[in-house]
Amino acid sequence: MALIRDMIPAFELFQPTSVEDATSLMERYGEDGWVLAGGLDSFDWFKDRIKRPRAVIDLGNVAELRGVRSTEDGLEIGAMTTLTEVASHGEITRSYGILAQAAAKVATPQIRNQATLGGNVAQDTRCWYYRSGWPCYRAGGNICYADAPTAMNREHCIFGADRCVAVNPSDTAPALTALDAKMVVRNSGGERVVDAEDFFIGPGIDITRMTIMEPGDLLTSIRIPTTWAGARFYFEKVEDRKSWDFALVSVASAMTVNNGRIEQVRVVVNGVAPYPMRLDNVEAQVRGRPLDDETATQAGETAIRGAKALRHNDYKLPLMRNLVRRSLRGEQA
Amino acid sequence: MAEKLIGKDITPPDLVAKVTGRAKYAEDFRADGMLFAKLLSSPMPHARVRRIDASAALSMPGVVDILTADDLPEVDAPGERALTNEPLYEGEPILAVAAVDETTAADAIERINVDFEQLPFVLDPLESLRPGGPNARTEGNVYHISQDLREFRTLKWTAADLTEAGEDRLPMGEPQVEWAVGDTEAGFAEADLILDETIVHQSLTHHPMEPRSSMAYWQNGKLFLHTSTQSTAQTRVAVARALDLELDDVVLIGEYCGGGFGSKVRGSPIMHVPALLSRKTGRPVMMRITLYEENSLGRARPGFQARARMGWRSDGRVTAIDLYVVQDNGPYDRRSDFTTAGNVASLSYQPLSMRFRGVSVFTNTPPRSAQRAPGGAQIVGMLEPIMDKAARELGVDRVAMRRINAPDNNGWVGANQGNLTSAYVREALDKGVETFGWEVKKQLSGQREGTKVTGVGVALSPYVGGSIGFDGLLVIRPDGRLHVHQGTGNLGTHSFADTARVAAEILGMPWDRVVVVWGDTSKHLAWSSVQAGSQTIHAHTRANHAAGMDAKRKLQEIAARDLGGSPGDYETDNGRVFRRSNPSQGMSFARAARRAIQLGGKYSGQELPSDIHDVTVRSAQALAGQGLMGVAKDNYGREGGTWSFVVGFALVELDVETGQVDLKEYTAVADCGTVIHPRGLAAQLHGGGVQGFGIARSQKWVFDPQWGIPFAKRFYTARPPGILDVPLEMHWGAVEIPDPQTPVGAKGIGEPPVGAGSAAIASAIADALGGQYLCRTPLTNDMILAALEGREQPYRPLEIHS
Amino acid sequence: MEFFRRATNPWGQDVLVGIAWDLMWAAVIVGVLFVVAHAIYVWRLAPKEEPGADLAAEPGTNVPEQVVRHTLSSRLFHWLMTAAMFALLITAFFPVIGIRFPWVTIHWIAGIGLVLTIVYHVVRATLWQDFWSMWIDRKEIQEGTADVKRFLGRSTVPQRKAGKYPLDHKLFHHVIAAVSIAAIATGLLMMFRVDTPFWVRNPYVLSDGLWGVVYVLHGLSGVALITMITAHIYFAIRPEKLWITRSMINGWIGRKEYLAHHDPQRWVVAPNAPQTLAGAGSSTSPSQSAQQDKQPVG
Repeated sequence: MALIRDMIPAFELFQPTSVEDATSLMERYGEDGWVLAGGLDSFDWFKDRIKRPRAVIDLGNVAELRGVRSTEDGLEIGAMTTLTEVASHGEITRSYGILAQAAAKVATPQIRNQATLGGNVAQDTRCWYYRSGWPCYRAGGNICYADAPTAMNREHCIFGADRCVAVNPSDTAPALTALDAKMVVRNSGGERVVDAEDFFIGPGIDITRMTIMEPGDLLTSIRIPTTWAGARFYFEKVEDRKSWDFALVSVASAMTVNNGRIEQVRVVVNGVAPYPMRLDNVEAQVRGRPLDDETATQAGETAIRGAKALRHNDYKLPLMRNLVRRSLRGEQA
Repeated sequence: MAEKLIGKDITPPDLVAKVTGRAKYAEDFRADGMLFAKLLSSPMPHARVRRIDASAALSMPGVVDILTADDLPEVDAPGERALTNEPLYEGEPILAVAAVDETTAADAIERINVDFEQLPFVLDPLESLRPGGPNARTEGNVYHISQDLREFRTLKWTAADLTEAGEDRLPMGEPQVEWAVGDTEAGFAEADLILDETIVHQSLTHHPMEPRSSMAYWQNGKLFLHTSTQSTAQTRVAVARALDLELDDVVLIGEYCGGGFGSKVRGSPIMHVPALLSRKTGRPVMMRITLYEENSLGRARPGFQARARMGWRSDGRVTAIDLYVVQDNGPYDRRSDFTTAGNVASLSYQPLSMRFRGVSVFTNTPPRSAQRAPGGAQIVGMLEPIMDKAARELGVDRVAMRRINAPDNNGWVGANQGNLTSAYVREALDKGVETFGWEVKKQLSGQREGTKVTGVGVALSPYVGGSIGFDGLLVIRPDGRLHVHQGTGNLGTHSFADTARVAAEILGMPWDRVVVVWGDTSKHLAWSSVQAGSQTIHAHTRANHAAGMDAKRKLQEIAARDLGGSPGDYETDNGRVFRRSNPSQGMSFARAARRAIQLGGKYSGQELPSDIHDVTVRSAQALAGQGLMGVAKDNYGREGGTWSFVVGFALVELDVETGQVDLKEYTAVADCGTVIHPRGLAAQLHGGGVQGFGIARSQKWVFDPQWGIPFAKRFYTARPPGILDVPLEMHWGAVEIPDPQTPVGAKGIGEPPVGAGSAAIASAIADALGGQYLCRTPLTNDMILAALEGREQPYRPLEIHS
Repeated sequence: MEFFRRATNPWGQDVLVGIAWDLMWAAVIVGVLFVVAHAIYVWRLAPKEEPGADLAAEPGTNVPEQVVRHTLSSRLFHWLMTAAMFALLITAFFPVIGIRFPWVTIHWIAGIGLVLTIVYHVVRATLWQDFWSMWIDRKEIQEGTADVKRFLGRSTVPQRKAGKYPLDHKLFHHVIAAVSIAAIATGLLMMFRVDTPFWVRNPYVLSDGLWGVVYVLHGLSGVALITMITAHIYFAIRPEKLWITRSMINGWIGRKEYLAHHDPQRWVVAPNAPQTLAGAGSSTSPSQSAQQDKQPVG
């Protein structure tokens, strides 16, 4: 069978108007079904004819999945809320600034108008070996092309490798993890709420998925608790171009400071592991310490302890170290 | 008096259609019964097709036919055909399927089995030059071209060549091309500073916004081809030649082109596929090339692995250059970028002595073609930062360094030390220093604020600025309008319209009564230069000048004949020809056109000059009798080569913790002679500069060496610059000294802005790094950070496609 | 049912990737069917075994009360290997059935553990034990054939008692040894695909095609082990075999079991040297009848 790219094969399109209809369609089609949010990830796969679902379930008409609602203990953001809306939403920009900043750093304005928050967190990795349709571990094969002696792995991981060395590409994922967001996942069996930190998984747990979501699972909303509202935030994304690029490394941190000392803190880095990586060791180290350059510098060193560079991505060590340092140095982003 | 046109902004005649979406590009056309074609491409970087089994595909409903390499006319190696049985790079088209729609055609491709025999491949020229290294082509790894001989050869360097250089310096074995001017040994002996640098410049895809799509149909044996091309008249000739057709049997339509940058000079081979599939099926065939395919079968700039040994006197004067360039040729025709690079180096620095050596090696990577300043952009981007390095070591101001070496009207270029028509580099530097504020900005060099360090850079980028000898063709119709028949294309530079203004200005024709005819050979176009190599402005201000003068003479003659006196008594302006001494005595162009038709002969195109090109003859014959015809060949002549120059200035802020570079300010000043269209010039200076920013900072090829397959096949992976990578502060200027050897004084300016942009940023980055030049494009964050942190660079100095 | 997983490699060539996981279920089903069939057969159809020969008639008076069957080191080997094997099977197959955890490191370390135990076993068996005690000679094959016939009710020739290791144990040992070696050999090659402190992973040491064969062999031996170990456990817990299982725990069998199931001629328990558990490991007898300390692997 010869290969051809850039031409979407035919599929059956469903445009349900309720979550119930969507989940029942998902149940009906199982592995043959594909949930379409903004389409920025999906259409790439379809165009290259690598993922070929029989049925595509477009969530674009499910009104209940859109919009930002205030709840008793924070905000609930519908999974189909666009990144533009997330980036510009009043309450998000006021109280949960890192999320707005992260959303605003995604790709380009056109893409943010179309892309959704749910899609951004649930998107697949951008490892170009995998994206080229090569039969790697993640694609069900038995090889990682990106971690061969001659491989081109500048964008790949320095932590959390397990056969696969791909990284999570999401900009909003580290921000949500830093905010201790809760992911609301529904399937035909009911609803469960998962911490953002546990939502993203590495290849050791399931090499074919980036999140805990299995076929039939639908991310319906993301809840942001008030825990970190108005905290001191830092978000930064380093990329090769200033738009339409995935992070080489990004950092999102949230902290509360009292009398110049760090009280509570969460630091999350993305682009370095197959999942947004929460730095428990750094958090433990800096808690209670003065918010100053020394603390930040030590935190940076701690952050990269245990990192393992591939052939071309050694730079991610100093980059991650510096970004973690920056995020804790006491500068407001 | 009609408004002066030259040097004024205009709204080009294609603009409204473009910005409103009404413009029809090749893929927007439809015809009755039209089929769609899709390509099957090679999955291997080098292979031989053993067997094609298309039976399953052909039996699918809606699938009409296939076209394979066997259906194509032969081409002499190392030339390229649209389809092949021996693919030389991954993604090379093997066959095309025509079906009733694209989905069916794509589904059919998947049902075709091609049995490939995998052959040895090579991605890196140095790998192929090693003793026992693989050849990209079965015939050899280089193509020898001399006056009397053209042949494939296998060139291998000796183990001693390789050992001598070590792993990280370019070995310099036997070259293919070699020349010397002056005594380099003496030059180096005279030098107070000598630098020996190994530098890598990546290969780069063109990334035009519009892929090279085309649609073809045949009527009564005549081919109608809608295609995306930079040039019109010359593409038609190329199609006729390639498909062995009479010129009159080809109608080529390409009114709009979504960019080419040298990759669609005469279209490209793939446009033969819909033409032949249409002939085979008897139905119109549309083949839309996707952006993914564009990255394979679209063209690319050849990369260089180079070594430059340069010597300077303490005042900054270059005493000697010893330059060796290994060119990554791709798999087909030998590119001349590397030899041009040698010429450009000699021109930029006017060294007291120079030796150039080079070799162009076949690789199993996508085919190369000219890309905006072919050879020039590469070498400027590679050598200018070395000039900076020397300036820093010698303690010479970097602008002064350029000034002391810059060519003037007595400058020379290349092995033959050819003359220049003009060079006003020092004037451009002066203007740039003033516009950019060099004296103030250079004080900021190395200053650190927070984590950000400022760097400033300057670069000089020359490139060829025009050709000569093409034709102008225009008709003043009885309705009083001037139709200028432009055979050059509409690449997007507006030069197809800008050059028409020369004829209008000579005739004194108000611009709103000028009809620019272009982009469709059924509209009878003049023989024109290709719209490439910055030729159009030069070639067609001249050709239209000649045609305008011819028409003016004819107007004067008609006026004298009807109104008395001698032709010399008459002047033209505002659409009238009138007596100088008594402007009320005269006639409108409309009336003159009617008289020309009555008079016939040379006045209306029944008699034509003997020196015009056959293409112009046919067009003129077709237009004969429609009005007063101006038709002439550009016989103005010139001595020496026409070169334009751009000086670029950049200011960057470099974050020492992340390696991120912010380009804060960019200024480009051109020596391009007379400015024809200021807004068009600004677009060239800035647009080319932006392309240079991409070369310097983000854009590259990445191949997996094990499989020979590239990855950067999408805009987001290939990373051409985005709008946020373009600084808010962009300025431009021009010297505005006419070139003395061309009637309007204008030189082409499409090419040199690229090298200026790329080199100015590379220099500014090196400046911010305290003079550390990383000798590589692109200078990505990872490399910069590694340099800042004193860590090992992510790439070996000679590594390419990474 | 699919037997193999195939994929299209980057050059568009069809390559083997491994066995289809259907085969894992097939192996489970075969194992269970065997167990069920055997259990039913023994329960309802098999001719009843003659009770063991009359104890009084045997010249076993000087046989000690506890006859050492497995020395401490043998038992240690067996159970370490069991642990490694279970770790391998669990880490191999649980993720396939949806129980997900980072298994690769455990798997390869367990694999190394298995290799070490087997190397230990092979060295010991070769140098310090009677290597030939596991050899199957022609007579045993004849006896084996007779046993099968009798089991199927086609023969009434009384079973001859075994030496230390009955034929079925030996056969099982050899088959499982072969399968394990296949798994280990392919598994060791696959170590090129993980980073260890000793080398950097390199998937290109073999071609796609060869890797496919390696993965298929590894997979096949893996699923074969499922079936074999199912059978092994089943026999270990069958009531009439429990005495053997117990000996793998405490090391000895009773005099009664010894006399009932073993031929003292073929497995001589040295009469004048009452065996102790501690001393048994180092005592080897020169003759073929003094087989010691070999047990089926598994």
